[in-house]
Amino acid sequence: MAPKLPPQPPLEHSSAATAGGAAAHHAPPRGMLRWLLTTNHKEIGSLYLIFSLIMFFIGGIFALVVRAELFQPGLQLVNPEFFNQMTTMHGLIMVFAAVMPAFTGLANWMIPLQIGAPDMALPRLNNFSFWLLPVAFLLLLSTLLMPGGGPNFGWTFYAPLSTTFAPPSTTFFILSLHIAGISSILGAINIVATILNMRAPGMRMMDMPLFVWTWLITAFLLIAVMPVLAGVITMMLMDINFGTSFFNAAGGGDPVLFQHLFWFFGHPEVYIMILPAFGIVSAIIPTFARKPLFGYASMVYATASIALLSFLVWAHHMFVVGLPLVAELFFMYTTMLIAVPTGVKVFNWITTLFRGSITFEPPMLFALAFVVLFTIGGFSGLMLAIAPADFQYHDTYFVVAHFHYVLVPGAVFAIMAGVYYWLPKWTGHYPNVRLSQWHFWLSVIGVNLTFFPMHFSGLAGMPRRIPDYALQFADFNLVSSLGAFMFGASQLVFVAVVILCVRGGEKAPAKAWEGAEDLEWSVPSPAPLHTFETPPTFSPHVH
Amino acid sequence: MRTLLVWVAGCWTLAGLSPLALANGWNMPVGVTDLSREIYSLHMTIFWICVAIGVVVFGVMFYSLFRFRRSRGAKADNFHENTTVEVLWTAIPLLILVGMAVPATATLVKMYDASDAELDVMITGQQWRWRYEYLGEDVAFTSNMSTPRAQIRGEEARGEHYLLEVDEPLVLPTNRKVRFLMTADDVIHSWWVPDLAVKQDTIPGFINENWVNIDEPGIYRGQCAELCGMDHGFMPIVVHAMEGEEFDEWLAERKEAAAEEALGVDRDWELDELMERGEAVYGSICASCHQAEGQGAPPAFPSLAGNERLIEDVEWHVQTIVNGVSGTAMPAFRSTLNPVEIAAVATFTRNAWGNDTGDAVQPSEIAEQLAQ
Amino acid sequence: MWSVIKSVLAAFFGVQKERQRRADFETGRPVVFIAVGVVMTLVLIGLVALVATLAAR
Repeated sequence: MAPKLPPQPPLEHSSAATAGGAAAHHAPPRGMLRWLLTTNHKEIGSLYLIFSLIMFFIGGIFALVVRAELFQPGLQLVNPEFFNQMTTMHGLIMVFAAVMPAFTGLANWMIPLQIGAPDMALPRLNNFSFWLLPVAFLLLLSTLLMPGGGPNFGWTFYAPLSTTFAPPSTTFFILSLHIAGISSILGAINIVATILNMRAPGMRMMDMPLFVWTWLITAFLLIAVMPVLAGVITMMLMDINFGTSFFNAAGGGDPVLFQHLFWFFGHPEVYIMILPAFGIVSAIIPTFARKPLFGYASMVYATASIALLSFLVWAHHMFVVGLPLVAELFFMYTTMLIAVPTGVKVFNWITTLFRGSITFEPPMLFALAFVVLFTIGGFSGLMLAIAPADFQYHDTYFVVAHFHYVLVPGAVFAIMAGVYYWLPKWTGHYPNVRLSQWHFWLSVIGVNLTFFPMHFSGLAGMPRRIPDYALQFADFNLVSSLGAFMFGASQLVFVAVVILCVRGGEKAPAKAWEGAEDLEWSVPSPAPLHTFETPPTFSPHVH
Repeated sequence: MRTLLVWVAGCWTLAGLSPLALANGWNMPVGVTDLSREIYSLHMTIFWICVAIGVVVFGVMFYSLFRFRRSRGAKADNFHENTTVEVLWTAIPLLILVGMAVPATATLVKMYDASDAELDVMITGQQWRWRYEYLGEDVAFTSNMSTPRAQIRGEEARGEHYLLEVDEPLVLPTNRKVRFLMTADDVIHSWWVPDLAVKQDTIPGFINENWVNIDEPGIYRGQCAELCGMDHGFMPIVVHAMEGEEFDEWLAERKEAAAEEALGVDRDWELDELMERGEAVYGSICASCHQAEGQGAPPAFPSLAGNERLIEDVEWHVQTIVNGVSGTAMPAFRSTLNPVEIAAVATFTRNAWGNDTGDAVQPSEIAEQLAQ
Repeated sequence: MWSVIKSVLAAFFGVQKERQRRADFETGRPVVFIAVGVVMTLVLIGLVALVATLAAR
C-alpha cells in the first residue's frame, strides 16, 4: 500500500491549537449567535448537513403523501390539485434543499481536511451561502399556505403551465429559486477557490483525492448552469408579472424554448447531484478493499468527460416534443456516448475490489449498494437513450424508476456512505454497527420495493404525475407504497444512529479506518475546530 | 459474511424471476403497427444487452466480494493500473453502443416519415380533454373521460376500463396511413397510446406531426402523458380501429350528423331544448373546472352559481365562453364548440342552480357573433 | 503539438499511460491542453452532428 500519510503528521500543531489558544484568540459568540455568525468550515459543514437532513424528511413526507394517495386506485386522501403540489414540492425540496446542500456540507467539512487547508478560501461568503438556504426554502414551503396553493407544475415547471396557468404563489417560488441559486453559485466559487489555491504544499492536482476532484468539476458545472436557471426563471417572472411573452404562444412566444433552457441547466444539474457521489464512493471502496483505487487517472478523465458531455445531451429529455430528426439523432448519439465514461467508473470500482482484502463496515455496505443500484439506474438510462424506444418510455413510471435509482440508492446512499465514513472524524465515535446494519438493510429493501415495480408499471403504460390510475397498475403501486413507507421509516434509524454517535460510542482514533489514506485521517478524531493552521507536508505518492 | 450470501441469493432470485417481466402487463406492449413492433424489438434488444452486461459486471463484483473477503484471509494486492484492460473496457461498450445506434437510427428515420398519408386527423389537447378533427371531412368532436366521478371517489364499483374510457373515441381505419397533426389550446399535453407506439407532445403554438398505420381492428387505450394541470390524470385516449369500409360508413354518418347540426343553427330553439342540450355540454366540458353544481373552485375557477356579473350581463357571459379570458385557465371555445352548443351551454348556465334568468340564448345569435 | 493532441485524445477516450501522463503534467503548459481540449470538443460536436445529418438523409 502506498504510504500516503505524510511522514510527520502535523498533529502537534492542530491539537496544540485546540488545547491552547483557539477559543481564546477567536472567542466565538455563544448560543444561536455562534451558529449564525460562524465562519468555520466544520461548523458550516454541520449546518449544511443538518439543514439537508431536515429537508430530506420534509421532502420525504411529501413523497409519502403521494405514495399514500397512490396506495390504491381512486382518490382517497388528497385532491388532484394538492397531489400536484406534493409531487412538485417533493422534487424541488429533494433536489435543491436535500441532495445539493448535503454534498455542499460534505465539501465544507472534508475538502479543507483532504487538501490540508485550514478553512475554506472565503469563510464569510461561506456563512452567507449557507444562511441563504433556510431563507429560500422557508419561502418555498410557505407557498403551500398561500391562496391558490404552492407550485403544482412539477419540479421541471414547464411553461406555460408554470406561467399563464400557474397559481399566484409562483412569483415567490421564483424568488426562492433565485436565492437558492445564488447560494449554490457562491458555494461553488468558494470551493473552486479553495481547491485551486489552498492545497498543502506538494499536493498537485493529480494527487488530490477523488472527492476533491469530483467536487472541483461539479463546482464548475454549478457556476456554468445556475445562471441559466436564473435566466429562465427570470423570463418566467417577466411573463407572469410584466406582460412579456417569452413562453406564451398567444403572444408569439415559444413554450419549447423553455424546455431547451431548462434542460440546458437541468442535465448538468443531474451530474451535479451524482459526481460528488462518485468521489465519495471512490474514497470508500479503496479504504475497505485495502487496495489503491484502480485507474485514478481514468477516473478523473471520466469525470471530466461526463461533465463536458453533460452539456451536449440536454434534449434527450425532449425526444417527444417534436424536434427535427437531425437533432433527435444528435442527442441520441451523445447520450449513448455518455454511457462510456460512466461504465468506466463502475469497472474501476469493481476492479478495485478484485484481489483486495474486503471488509463490510457500514460505509462500505452503502458504497457497494451504490455501485449495484446506480448501475441498474444506468442501464435504464441507456434504454431511455434509444430515442425511438423513448417514445414509449417518456413521461412514464419507467422514467420515475430510472431517476430514482440514480438519485436515491445513487446520490442519497453515497451521502449516507459518506456520513458513516466520516462520522468518526466528526464526532470521535464510531457509529453503532448493529443499528447501522439495520438502517442499511431496511433502506436497501425499502428502496427496491419502492422503485423496482415502477419499471413494470411504466412499461405497462402508467404515466407519471397522475393522482389516480387504471386498475391494471394497482398491484405495482401497492408494493411501491409499502416500500416507500418502509424506506421512510428506516431513515428514523439513521437519525438515531447519528444522534447516538454524536453523544457517545466506541472511541475512534485519528485514523479511524485501517485502510484509509487521505489527509483527513492525520488529524485527531474528533477533528478540532481548527486544523492545519500550519500546512502539513504532503508527500506525493503513486496513485 | 452471511448477509452477503443472502444478498447474492436475493439477486439471483431476482434474475430468475426476470422472465416474469416478459409476461403481459409487466412489459411494453408489442402493439399493432409495424413501428410499434420495431420499437418493441429495440426495447427487448437493449434490455437483453443490459442484462448480459449486468450478469458479467455483477458476477465479477459478487465473486470479488465473496472471494476476497478479509474474513477468508484475503491479502490485498497493490495493482492499480492496466492500460490494456482499460482500453478494452472503453472500446467494447463503445462498439456495443454503435451496434445499438444503427437499428435505432433506422427506426427513427421511419418514424419521422409522415408522407403519403391517406387521412389527416388534427389532435388538439385542451384542459382536460382531446379534440379530434378529420381534416377536409367537416367532422370534429371532443373526447372526454366518461368514468363517473363517483367511481373515482369510491362511491361506486370501478369498471373494467376505469379512467381509460371516453364518451367518443377517436375512430381510425386499419391498413391506411393516418397522419396526426397535433397542437394544444392551453398548456402542453402529450397524446400517447402505447399499442400504437405514438407519443407526441401537443404544444400551444406548434403543430407536431406523427403517423400510424394500424393493422388490427380493435380498441386501444392511452392517456395524456405530460403534466397539464389539475385533471392531468383524467384525460384518457381511446382509439377505435375499424376495417376501411366500416370506417368509411362511420365517417359518412358523422358527416351527415354534422350537416344536420349546422341546419339547427337557423331555427328558434325552445328553452327546455337548450337546457337539455346545455346540461350535456356543461357536464362534458365545463364541470371539470366549474364543478357539477357550478360552485367552481376559487380562486382559479370562479363560481358560476349566483355569479352576479354572469346573471346581469348576457353579452359578457357569451363573450367569455366564445373568446375565453386571456391570462387565466378559461379557454376560448369559438373553435371547440359549435353555435348550438355555445348557445345551449350559455342558456344552461344562465338558468341552472338558482341563476333563473329565464334567458334563452339562440344559436343564430351566436352564429352571427362568430361570423364577425 | 501532435503529442498534445494525442494526450487530449487519450483523455477523451479516458485512458492514458501513466508515464505519458506524468510527462504531460511535468512539461506541458495547462493553457495549451485546455485550448486543444476545447477545440477538440468542438470537433467532436461537429463530427456527431455530421453523422446525425448523414443518417437523417
